[in-house]
Order: sequence, then C-alpha cells, then structure tokens
Amino acid sequence: MKKLYITILFGVTVLTGCSNFDEDINTTTNDPSQASGMQLISQAELWLPGLSSSPQGEFMAQYLAETQYVGLSLYPQQSTSFYSWYQGPLADLQAVLNADDLTANEGPIENQLAVAKILKAYYFWNITDRWGDVPYSEALQGVDDFTPAYDTQESIYTDLFAELKEASDMMVSGNLSNDIVYDGDMGKWERFANTIRMIMALRLSEVNPATAEAEFNNAVNDGVFISNDDNLFFQHLADANNQNYWYDQVENDNREWWALTESLVSVMKPLDDPRLPIYGNPARDSDEYVGLLFGEEDNIGTEEYSLLGDAIYAQDAPVYLLTYAQVQFAMAEASERGWITGDTETYYNQAIESSIEQWTGSTEEVTDFMAQSEVAFDPANAMEQIATQRWVHLYMFGYEAWAEWRRTGLPDIMVKPNGVNVPTRLAYPDNEAFNNETNYTDAVQRQFGGEDSIYGTLWWDK
Amino acid sequence: MNYKISVIMLLICVPFWGLSAQEIPITGTVTVASDGMPLPGVTVMIKGTNQGTSTDMDGNYSITTNQGDVLSFSSIGFAVQEVPVNGQTTINIALVESMQGLDEVVVTALGISRDKKSLGYATQEVDGENFNLTNEQNVLGSLSGRVAGVQVTGASGASMGGTQKIKIRGVNSIGAGDQPLIVIDGTPISNANFSGSDQADYGNLAQDVNPNDIESVNVLKGPAASALYGIRGQYGVIMITTKKGKKGPKKVSVDFSSTFSVESAYNFIELQNMYGGGSSQTFRTLPNGQPYVDMSVDESWGPKLDGTPVRQVFSFYPQDPEYGQLTPFVAHPNNVKNYYNTGTTFNNNVSISGGNENTSVRLSFNNTQIEGIVPNTNLDRTNVGLSVSLDLNDKVTVSSNINYAGNKGRRPSQGSEYGANYMVQWFQRNVDMNRLRNYKYDDGTFLHWNLSRPDSNTGEITDFEPLYWNNPYFEAYENTSDDYRDRFFGDIGVSYKIIPELEISGFVRSDMFTQNIQSRQAFGGTRVPSFSIGKYQNKEFNYELLAQYKKSWEKLSLDATVGGNIYDREYTYLSQATVGGLSSPGFYNIDASIDRPEVDSYLLEKQIRSFYSLVSLGYDGTFFIDASLRNDNSSTLPDDNNSYWYPSFSGSIVFSELLEWEPLSFGKVRASYAKAGSDLDPYLTTPFYEVGTVYNGTSTLYVPDKLNNPNIKPSFSNSFEAGLELNFFNNRLGFDFTYYQQKNKDQILDLDISGTSGYDSTIINAGLIENDGFELSVNAAPVKINNFSWDFTFNINKNNSEVVELAPGIDVYTYGSTTYSSVTSYLNSYEGEPFGSLVGQAYQRDEASGKILLDDENMPLYTDATHNFGTVLPDFNGGFQNNIRIGQFNIAAMIDFQGGGQFFSRSKMLSVRTGQDILTVATNDNGMNVRDPLEDGGGVKVTGISASTGEDVTAYVDARSYYRNVIGRRIYEEWLYDASYVKLREVRVQYNLGEKIMEKLPFSTMSLALIARNPAMIWQKAPKGINPSEISTGAQAISWYESGQLPSVRSFGVNLNVTF
Repeated sequence: MKKLYITILFGVTVLTGCSNFDEDINTTTNDPSQASGMQLISQAELWLPGLSSSPQGEFMAQYLAETQYVGLSLYPQQSTSFYSWYQGPLADLQAVLNADDLTANEGPIENQLAVAKILKAYYFWNITDRWGDVPYSEALQGVDDFTPAYDTQESIYTDLFAELKEASDMMVSGNLSNDIVYDGDMGKWERFANTIRMIMALRLSEVNPATAEAEFNNAVNDGVFISNDDNLFFQHLADANNQNYWYDQVENDNREWWALTESLVSVMKPLDDPRLPIYGNPARDSDEYVGLLFGEEDNIGTEEYSLLGDAIYAQDAPVYLLTYAQVQFAMAEASERGWITGDTETYYNQAIESSIEQWTGSTEEVTDFMAQSEVAFDPANAMEQIATQRWVHLYMFGYEAWAEWRRTGLPDIMVKPNGVNVPTRLAYPDNEAFNNETNYTDAVQRQFGGEDSIYGTLWWDK
Repeated sequence: MNYKISVIMLLICVPFWGLSAQEIPITGTVTVASDGMPLPGVTVMIKGTNQGTSTDMDGNYSITTNQGDVLSFSSIGFAVQEVPVNGQTTINIALVESMQGLDEVVVTALGISRDKKSLGYATQEVDGENFNLTNEQNVLGSLSGRVAGVQVTGASGASMGGTQKIKIRGVNSIGAGDQPLIVIDGTPISNANFSGSDQADYGNLAQDVNPNDIESVNVLKGPAASALYGIRGQYGVIMITTKKGKKGPKKVSVDFSSTFSVESAYNFIELQNMYGGGSSQTFRTLPNGQPYVDMSVDESWGPKLDGTPVRQVFSFYPQDPEYGQLTPFVAHPNNVKNYYNTGTTFNNNVSISGGNENTSVRLSFNNTQIEGIVPNTNLDRTNVGLSVSLDLNDKVTVSSNINYAGNKGRRPSQGSEYGANYMVQWFQRNVDMNRLRNYKYDDGTFLHWNLSRPDSNTGEITDFEPLYWNNPYFEAYENTSDDYRDRFFGDIGVSYKIIPELEISGFVRSDMFTQNIQSRQAFGGTRVPSFSIGKYQNKEFNYELLAQYKKSWEKLSLDATVGGNIYDREYTYLSQATVGGLSSPGFYNIDASIDRPEVDSYLLEKQIRSFYSLVSLGYDGTFFIDASLRNDNSSTLPDDNNSYWYPSFSGSIVFSELLEWEPLSFGKVRASYAKAGSDLDPYLTTPFYEVGTVYNGTSTLYVPDKLNNPNIKPSFSNSFEAGLELNFFNNRLGFDFTYYQQKNKDQILDLDISGTSGYDSTIINAGLIENDGFELSVNAAPVKINNFSWDFTFNINKNNSEVVELAPGIDVYTYGSTTYSSVTSYLNSYEGEPFGSLVGQAYQRDEASGKILLDDENMPLYTDATHNFGTVLPDFNGGFQNNIRIGQFNIAAMIDFQGGGQFFSRSKMLSVRTGQDILTVATNDNGMNVRDPLEDGGGVKVTGISASTGEDVTAYVDARSYYRNVIGRRIYEEWLYDASYVKLREVRVQYNLGEKIMEKLPFSTMSLALIARNPAMIWQKAPKGINPSEISTGAQAISWYESGQLPSVRSFGVNLNVTF
C-alpha cells in the first residue's frame, strides 16, 4: 500500500511539479522573428500608391465625378482614418530606425537609415497636409505611449526639413538592394529628399514667405530632380498581388462609378491635349470625350460620359507621386514670386513638356500643343496658368492637387454642387475620440475652436 | 522529465494491483409506494462509491455489488431508501413520496458524483430527453431557456447546424471570449468555430455529440462549481453525460428512433409591390423606342408596376425564347420567398446497449440527412458512439468511450455580400424568380438580372457579365462552399479501488478532428474566379489522474479528491487560395491560380499542467462544507509567471432537516466563493514580424498591428454566490433562487489603442468587469391526477454588468466595428457603463426640445459615429418548459424569451434605402403616395427644427432622396431594434402505444410523435422579417448587428421510437 501512495505522489509531482515548459513552446514558428532593414523598407514602399489611389482624393480635386452614389463626392461630413499610415509604413520605418541589429548585407546601414528617414518624412508630410496637427514627435512609440499628443503642423514642418537634411547628410557611397522604387540608387534618394523639401517649402508661400523662400533655395541648391527618370512613382505589376487599386474597382468589381469631370474635360478637350486619351476613354455612345458635371445627381447613364482611361486602370499602371514636372512648375512659380532668378516661361514650358512626356511617353505633340493661345505662356496670367497646368498634370493624385488648390485658390474652376464647397481638410478618425480623447480634443480645440470639421483651415492654408 | 511516459506507466501499473472478491449481481423493480406503479429513472447507487445505475421504463434495474454493500435508491420527489445487500439477489423496493427533500445525485466537476443537496453552489441539470424533443440541428440550441442564467443565441436553421453561442451569467470578459468549456463524459472537447461573419456558417464544434446519446447535461454556472477546471472553466462548464450500458444480469436492449421533418422559410421583411427596378419613375428607352427596365440598377425606385409592356432583362439574351419581346411590367410579390425550397431532414438512430455481471456496452449509430431550404445546400452527418466498461475484478474497472462524428456539408452563405441574402437589400420587385431558376442557357451562358445597360446605338447588350449581383441560383449552384469534418473524441481509463473508501483512476482523453473547407467562385459571375481550400487539424489530449477517498461515519461524511492533469494541444492548418483568377473554367485547384497563391501554414502548441484537490465534509446530512484548490501552469504565459493557484469554498445547510414544518419538503441555503483564472492564446508574449506581399522577387516583412506583451499574467475572477432552495407540498412546487456576483479583474484583452502609436491594439491585463444578477427556477406539478398531469419549469435570469475600469488612461474599449458605405458603427464599452454599447450615427437633435434638426433642404442632420445608444445586452431571459401527460399522450412545449437588448439591422436599412421596403410606398397624410411628386402632395412628411433658422419646420421631402441618401444610409438610429421576443421553440406531441397493443408487437415500447421546431415567433418587438433570436453571425461572440440574416426556418415532422 505504501508503495502505491508513493506512486501517486510521484505521479502528481511529475504531472505538476514543473512549470518549465520547452523553451520554444510559446515562440511562434508561423512568423519570422527577424526582419532585415530592406524587407521593412520595401514593405513601407508598397504603401506608396495608397497615398494617391482613392476616390476621395479625386473628388477633392474634382478630377472625377461619381456616376453612382453621388453622395460620396458631395463631401459628407465624416471622418477619414489616418491609422493605417501609422500602423502600416510608419511602424515599419520606425522599426528600421529603432533597430539595433541591421546588417550591411543589403547595402550600407547608414543608407538604409537615410532611406527610412526620407520615407518617414514623406508619409508624415502627406498626413499633416490632409489633417493638420497630427501625432508626430510622440507617435510610433508603441508601449511607451498609447496616447501621443498632436504636434502643430508648423513644428512638424520644421522637423521634417531637418530630418530630410539629416538623411541626405548621413548617406555614404554604396547602393541598396531590394529597393522597389529607386532600385537602391542613392543619388535618386538624395534628390527625392531635396525635392520633398522644395515642394514643402512652396507650401509655406502664404503662411511664411520668408521661410518658404529660404528653404526653397536651400533645397534647390542641394539638388532636386533633374529629369523624369528621377520621378517617384510606384509601378504596379500584372499580378493580382501587386495590382492597381483602380483595376480592382473597374475590372474586377465592374464599377463604372467614376467619370472625368466636366471641369477637367473642358480644360483639356478644346486643346486636344495629348494626355486626355490617357486620362479617360471616350464616351461609349458618342465616341467623344464628355465630362460629367461634378455633383450631378440625376439618373446618370455611364455610356454617355468619359470614364477612367484604360491606361489609368490598367493592372500594372504606374502611380505618380512626386515628379519632375512638379519641380518645373514649382520653379516657374518661385520665379514668378521672385524667389529665384530665371525665366518663368522656360520653366512653365519645360513643366508641360515633362508632364506630357511622363504621361504619354513622347514629346512629339508638345510643340503643337504649346502653340495654342490658351496654353501658351501669358505673363499677365502666369500664376493662373501655372496652377491650371499643374492641376492637369497632377491628375489622379487628387490629394496633392487639392493641397495646391488650398494653398493658392487656383485653378478657380471648382464647382459647388448644392452650394457645397470643397473641403479644406479631412476630419480626424472617429475612434481617435475614444482612443486618444484628451489629445484629440486639445488638437481640435486649438486649431478649429472645438469642431473637427472638414472646413477647418490648416496652418499653412492662409 | 518525460511526463507522458510516466503517466502511461502509471495507468498501466495501477490496475492490476487489486484482488478479486465475491461479486453479487442484484436485480429488482422499483415501484411507487402509493399506487404500486413502476418508477423509471430511479438512481441506484452503491453507497459510498460512484457506482450506480438507474431503473428502466418498467422500473427494473440490475447492479453488481459486493457482500456488505448498501444500495441507495433515490428519485426526485421520493425519499431515499437504503438497503443492505446481505446476500440478497433480488431487491424490490417501493419508494415513498418524499417528505424529506431532494436526494438527487448530480455529476459535478471532473465527473465526481455528488448528492445535490450537499452542494454549496447552483447547478442545473437538464435531462437528456430534452435534447431529442424535436431534433435541433445543433444540439446546443436545445439548451435555450432550459437553464436559468444560460443564454443561447443561435443562427437560422438554414445553416443546418449553424452557430449556437452560449453565455453563462452575462458577459464576463471584456474581450467577450467567454464561451463555456464543453465536457463530455469527463473529456473536454473543442467548441471551435470556423465561421466568419459572412459566407458559410459551419457552426460550433460541440454539436458533434449525438443528441440521442445524451443522458443528462449539467451546467456548472459559476466559478465555484467549475473551480476544479481551473483556467479552462472560468466561464462555466457544460457537462454532458452520455448513456451507458448496464451491468447486471445479461440483458440487451435495442432502441430505434426515426424522425422525418420538413422545413420552410418564414418571417420575411415586408416589401412593396407598387414600383419596380430603376432609379426614376420613367422608363429608359431603346433606340427603337421600346421602354426597358433599367437592369443596371439594383434598387426599386423605378416606374410603377402597372403592367406596361417593357423589355425586361431576359429579353436581351439572344438565347432566350422571349428575346426582343415586350412583357408586362408587374410585381412578383413573392420573388424573394420563392427562392427558398422546402427542406427535409431525415434522422435515424439505433442504439444497442446491454451488459452482464462485469461488462456493460452501449453502441449507437446516428445518421442525419438534411436538404436545406437554400437551393443546393445539404448536410450529411453521422455519429457513432461506443462505450464499454469492464470489471477486471472487484477492484479494477477499465472503461472507454469512443465517439466518431462525421459531417459533410454544402452550406449557404450568410451575410450581405455573399449568396442570395442580398435580395431583401438590393433587388428589383419586378424580377421573376421563376425566370431566374434556369440560370444557364443551353449554350452555357448564364442568365443574370443585373447587367450594364444596352448600347444606346444598337439597343443590344453584348456584355453579359453581371454588374453587382449574380443570379441567386448562380450563387447556389456555381459558387459553392463545401466542408467536411472527421472527428474522434473519447477516453480510456482505469479505476482501481484500493480499499472500499479509496479509489484511484487514470484517464487518457482525446479530441481530434480534421476540418476541411473549400469554396469556389465560378467564371461568369461578379467576382474574380477563385478557389480556396483549407485543412485544419486539432489534436487535444488530457492525461488525468485522480484519487478519491469517501468515508461516512455515524454523522460525518468525508469526500476527498486529489488529482493532476496535463492538457496538450496541437493545432495545425494549411490554407490556400488562388489569386488573380483561375486558369481554366471548371478546374478548381490551387494549381489553377493565375498569380502566386496565398498560402498559410500554421502550427500552435499549448500545454497546461494542473494539480487539484477537493475536500467535502458533511454533518448529519444537514451541514456541508467544500474547499478546493487548483494550480495551473500554462505554456502561453511568460516563463517566469506561468503558475497560479485558484481556491474555492462553499457551504450549505439543509435547514428543512432542522425545521419540522409539514408543507416544506426541502429547504437549503448555500453560499460559495471562488477565484478562477484564465490565460491567453499562444504567441502573444514575444514579438515577431509578419510576411508581406512579394514584389517582383523582393520579399517584404512588416510589424504586426497587434503589440505583444511579455509581461502578461492570467486574469482572475472572484465570484460569490448565495442561493436558496425551497420545495413545498411533497416537492410538487420548488423554487431555486441564486444571487451571484462576479468580478473579473486584470482581463487579458486586445485593447484598441490609437493607431498613431504604430499599433491598432495591444494585449494587456486591464480592467475590471462586474456582473451580478439573479437566477430563479420554478418547478411545479400543479396537476397530477390519474390520467392527467402537468408539470413545468420556469427559468428566468437577470444580469447586470458594469465595466468598472478599463486600462489606465483608457475609458473606452472597442469590441468591434462595422463599416458600410463609409459609415461606421461600433460596439464599445465605457467605464462606468454596462458592457457593450452600440455607437453610431444618430439624428442631430435640438437640445431643448429633442426635435430633429433639419438642413436647408429639410433633410435630417446626423451626428458623427460617436452617439452612444446604450448596451446591446438583454435585461433578462429565460424559458418556460411544459410537460403534459394525458393518458397515453405526452406533450412537451418549450418557450423561450428575452427582454431588452438591441441590435442594428443592415437588412432593414438597405431594404428601405433601395426602395424595396413597404415603408417606401406609404401613404402620407395628404392621402398621396410618398413617391408621388412633391407638387402633387407626395413626399415624406418631415418635422423638426431648421438648424439654420431655429424655426419649427413641417415639410414634405422627396422620398427617394430621404430614404436612399439620408435615412437609409447615414442615420443608424433609425435601424436599431429592441431584441425582446417570446418564441415557441419546440413542441412535441407523443403517443405511447398501450400495453395491450405492445403485447402483440415484437417491441417492448413504441411511441409516435409529431414535432415542431421553431413553429412560431409568438411576439417580437422588432419589425417582421428580422429574427432577434437568430442574430448570431458566425463566431462573433456578441451579436449586435444583423446583416444579411438567413431567413427563419420552421420545421414540422414525425418521430417514431421503438425499443426492442
């Protein structure tokens, strides 16, 4: 009997005596525990087309009009989330910047860090231009700060200039591998960083012209894009895993929901603009380019209007983000403002030529196009012309065109369906009011007097 | 240390220790003392042991005893009698109706049988026959309303065994992952659920038990009752005991049961029949002047259904006999309803049980074949069960339960986006379902109703690819979803009685299943053709060792149990899906993927090692006290912090033993306290990266959105309960009242955090959620005369929850959210409020008067999605179960009910938005249809206050703009419904063939029954067409929004039961 009790005791001890499990039992084998710097950076690059590919942005710039659920293009007062930008590319880039185990297998560590910094700055610039004050200096800290405070847009701009300069300064010789957008070419990365600074500086033309001018010249002196080869664009692939957003919408979901606006067609069609056949398809019933009045609600037949162009919704279409033509338009504007010396007209012409080359792959039709009086440079009307042609050029990157419109008020061709104005910002995410209440409330209070409205104006929007 | 080998050695070594002793088989009959009638279901136990049996229909029993044993006979409503064996081989007993109280024996945690009166906590047992009344397709559904404090939320019968979710005593976990543990014959089994909130609902896996095998179900509601299950029992335990063969004189009985039933869909949203498809009341015309129905619009804001000859969609198919022809534009009032078939269910069950002096065996076989109400859906389910017990000698018994369950299903999709549930949401009232039924022309072209408009020059349609929705029959026959599952669960065990008072036993328990799921999207529909397949395998083992000591002295009784358990789970899956389309029509294989397929292979391992002990003391059958302690070590917790102790205490006093008051047959007070804990899923304590898309050979990795936490600890719940049981008038009227309080602290929750931190959520220990409530159960037998008796059980419970505290700095927890048309609603919990508030867009109202604010066009203004509409949880729920016996007839009727709670209905909202709902053709107070032009007195009347002027406004607005763009799209307040209901869930009318007939038949008993399942929703507060008792969507733990619910299903059938 004694023996039995011992056996039981022994059994119980065996069963429960040890709280030591196999070391790796709670370590997943389903996901990797290590990531290389470039794996994280290239993931952050996959998010780039998302900055542009969204109907909402197209509505803001009135490039596209809705054929189906017109309510959406009439800017309902609703929030737009910025969470995915923080959780997505920014968290990945922050992981690179925080990493203590980067290796030089994919290129110099300094260059990996520089690229991470540049991309981080680029994303934050886009975010603050849409929403205004956003969490920046306290953001992306994970467990250390679940409720980051909102930084003012002014302080974010100041820091982004500094970060971008620092990124350029830290670059060493040696290219990177596994870089989706610039194929590891550090010269292009450096020019990209400087070009961001240039366009950011221009954004401050109304709120702080002195800083704007100084930063603009600094950026230009440091070296901005020198040709369309330097453009930042995302090349989609003919592969469902890496396909264009618009392909999925138009081709897979059969959505004929978006027509070119009457405003856009009325600028391009009379000039026989060589970009128009790229931008849109002729209407099915008339074989003509026909724009739809933005905000039109009555019983719209999609066969009667120009819908998105085949090239725009192609599965492997490129998405243009920061381009050489923008640099030229910026130079034209800066020259007009007297920030730089140079000939406005030359810049203006080069800008249009670069744009046509970018969109059509050819410059053949440029001369004929530029010869038309409506588009030929007119010094008396320079700002308006620059803005209008920049708006045409920025097609499909509606958010950027909208930012330029907010800054300059040009081109002055936006329609107001039912008297509804174009919004001047995006409203913060609904759930920020639950998740980060105090900071959210403070930010809304100090910028907009307490109302998180799509009609609040941003710091640089004077 | 290799614990597995040790355990197995223990199991092998122990049994052969014993010596044989003389066994005495005893048989007998138990009758009622007052009338001499045989008494079935009497528990016959060998006193001081766990061995026992019960009497059959004729009051007969047989049992094997040893010299010196004492037999105890107990049955509800009768006094316990104890008879020493003393060499007898036949013991006939007449039980006296009880003056003393309940001496019911119940199975408690770890399968320990206890006198119910000695328990210091609430348990409620449901007899097995209740699970066979009407053949519920998911057996857990039969629990609804039967146990106070247990809420069951189900899915529509169209899913054929869809999800049935169980909540015990409210929501006890902020993350709402508080499903009870399911234990069958001591073996914990998986109740996993592979369903999402849309597509097929495969149901929860606990339904793999054969309802015909169930002897009884005991629900351990509070942590005190389930404390011995430790981490796994924090949210209660549902203990299922299956039927067994009986030891005794050699005897075999065969039961056969066969049920056939037909199912039909009912309870549809009321739709209008005045206006057809389109977006304007005038027809569009072809170049030749013919009017046509706008097939590009999936709404019914079109022209009047007045019989005008028009070109309808099928007239554009050159293959169609009516190609090019005009046909009358008329309503098809039942077009949605006509889609559904009459379903059938055919169930057969055979069980053979028997035994001899030292062996008992029961073998059962069950097969169910269901043809669903949704076309081309079916389920074939087979259960095989074997339970054996063999006494090797008088000390050692080996036993085993082995169950097989096989399911093969082709199930309908639930939810708005898949299958045919879109029809109440987006459709044309003029579409003729009979035309859609032949969905494929002879040349293989599919007929769809929703296409791009005809070419405005030729008047022909050349692109027959559907626009937004497929023909529902295309969905049913081409976009199929198939699943099959093979599962084995059961145990083998030995018990060894060292001395009469001490028994040790060891078990190896296992639950293993392989779930296969595949689904197709065919060529010719709206979606990119695709195929996905997944194989999910779960292996769960429990190694258990238990020593039980039982001894009674003069007045004192002692039960002591110590034991240990190792839980070991390995779960793997391989799931794959094609990307970018399929290479050739009809070839459904991952190999057919155009682009790199999505592949996921997964492994999960988890172990819990436990030690537990329980001591119970009783004095004079009147005073009882229990104490238990369990230690759990979980592999999913951080290494240095993975061992935890959980104590419980309970006590009871049977005060009726102390009082001498005639009307009171039984009275008991009880109280208990327990601390329980729960751990978390594996792999949440160490950081990792996730694999991103591969771009042209460049691999990407990313930081997950969920932030893991290396400092996590188990969560604890402290619970207290007190109860009072009173039985009067020879137990013909009984009350069981329980008050409970449970505090769940340091919940392990996936807390939504500001995305600006870089993460969308984090795993933390935080919060305190408190539940308290009461449960009342009333049993009564108001009528009990010769040929007529009526008895009932009425259960009700009310639970109050409060989220006392979340995390520091966090006062809102988002449990879930859903977004449609860019409008989001949330299920949030706020500090200081009950769990689960529905949050969304409401009307903007004038603060002073509460009137709705209107914009300059007199349309209502709405808030952003932050308006708190209050909790979705019900105030109370319960059931009312009736059994009536009239002569040879037995009638059982089960009603369950719920008061309060709310949900948001997307189906209703969209039926209005798209002009299908009957609301959209109402007559306004000008006597005009709301769709008539405003200038003629039409329009929807709107009253409120103008936001810009502050003036009161009464105005008429265009119905389409009002319903389609504002109310039916942005104002969720309008589509919130109270979830109260009273439902007749089950009815069974059984006729038992009398003895005289039986003598001429080769059977011992035979009965015929008519059954009805869900025959009627007696009352519901929500509008017709939305079933508040079936808003379960897949595995989502809390039901708070309805979206594309499958129609309600009622079932009528016949059942034959024969015993040989």
